[in-house]
Amino acid sequence: MAHQRPAFTAASPPFLHHPVPQHPIPHHTMRSPPPLNQPQGTSSASAYAASPYQQHAAPQQQAHADQQMYPGYSSFFDPATQMGIQHVTKHAIGVGTDYIEANVNRYVNYTVLKHYFNVSNSYVPAKLRLVVFPWRHRPWSRIPKAVGPTPSPSDGMFLPPRDDLNSPDMYIPVMAFVTYILLYTMLAGLRGHFHPELLGKLASTAFAIVVVEILGLKFGCYLLNISNESQLLDLVAYSGYKFVGIIATMVVQEVFRSRWLKWLGFAYFYNAVAFFMLRSLKYVLLPENAADNPRGTVHAVARPQRNRRSHLLFVYSYVVQFIFMWILSSD
Amino acid sequence: MLFWFGNLVYVAVLLVNAVAVLSEDRFLARIGWAGQQDQGFGGQDVNIKAKLINLISAIRTLMRIPLIMVNIIIIVYELLLG
Repeated sequence: MAHQRPAFTAASPPFLHHPVPQHPIPHHTMRSPPPLNQPQGTSSASAYAASPYQQHAAPQQQAHADQQMYPGYSSFFDPATQMGIQHVTKHAIGVGTDYIEANVNRYVNYTVLKHYFNVSNSYVPAKLRLVVFPWRHRPWSRIPKAVGPTPSPSDGMFLPPRDDLNSPDMYIPVMAFVTYILLYTMLAGLRGHFHPELLGKLASTAFAIVVVEILGLKFGCYLLNISNESQLLDLVAYSGYKFVGIIATMVVQEVFRSRWLKWLGFAYFYNAVAFFMLRSLKYVLLPENAADNPRGTVHAVARPQRNRRSHLLFVYSYVVQFIFMWILSSD
Repeated sequence: MLFWFGNLVYVAVLLVNAVAVLSEDRFLARIGWAGQQDQGFGGQDVNIKAKLINLISAIRTLMRIPLIMVNIIIIVYELLLG
């Protein structure tokens, strides 16, 4: 390639990768109003090279130029044609994007989901530290969003995770889920047990466990009359945090390679995650007063009902988490 | 310990089947779990048992026809490919 370099020097016009016309084109007679800012190229090739940048000209130029487009066979190189093609392409892409968005929106509430991914660089380490070491944290209640003068549908009831450490997010659970699957298969590979099937099997197992958890919790909510319509995604998010603890357990096991330390690590991280979930889910399952629950759907709850709810909360965050974390972290 | 996602579907279908085959007058009425129709509005203080009874009767009436379809599909699939 080096011997071709002199061909690109400034003496000759730069080589174009477009089809270059082989014969002279009466280009200057074809163009409608001559663009003012175009550098007057000496050859037709350089004039063509400048044409993509002419699309910022006034739009009415296109209609005017369309009348003059047909007389010449070289109209493909006309800036107006270029602009038309670009316009059609842009329009087609826009229509496609709208179609996809409309269809996705039908099944998934975009704006609500976006709220859960609204995280910041400082939030993620703080939240991870909170999951791993939740003992000294306080308070645990989420901050309700101040109602603005113009309520918009994108408004959540609470501040997004970016502004509130206690808010559940989806970023950490999703990342932890993927990391768990990859880490598990990688460790299996280090021991020589890797099989591509393991990826799919592990993913479906972990996903099924999350689904079972959510269904069980929803069933409990149904039995105990806990009506929180919007909290399904919160529950999904909270049930994903245990993957952080599982990953930590697996790392401890792999680093120290000691069965005793593995159980110690499991006990610690399980306790941390369970405590974290107990505290965080309290506002979902046990709304105490209007301040905890801005929707105001929960009335005064009778004493035995409240006791049963605390039992559900405890069973979910300690017993159920123990079973599932045990299953997921065992090999 | 690991399993495919299809197993979860099987478990769910089998559980719903188990609820759906409960006989109203031979079994549920005998233990006092037959569906009551006298539930009005204002069910704030309904207890767990009433909720369960309500759920069972709802599954029995609502899921009967779809369950037949799903069971047939699963049986055919298992016969052909299982």
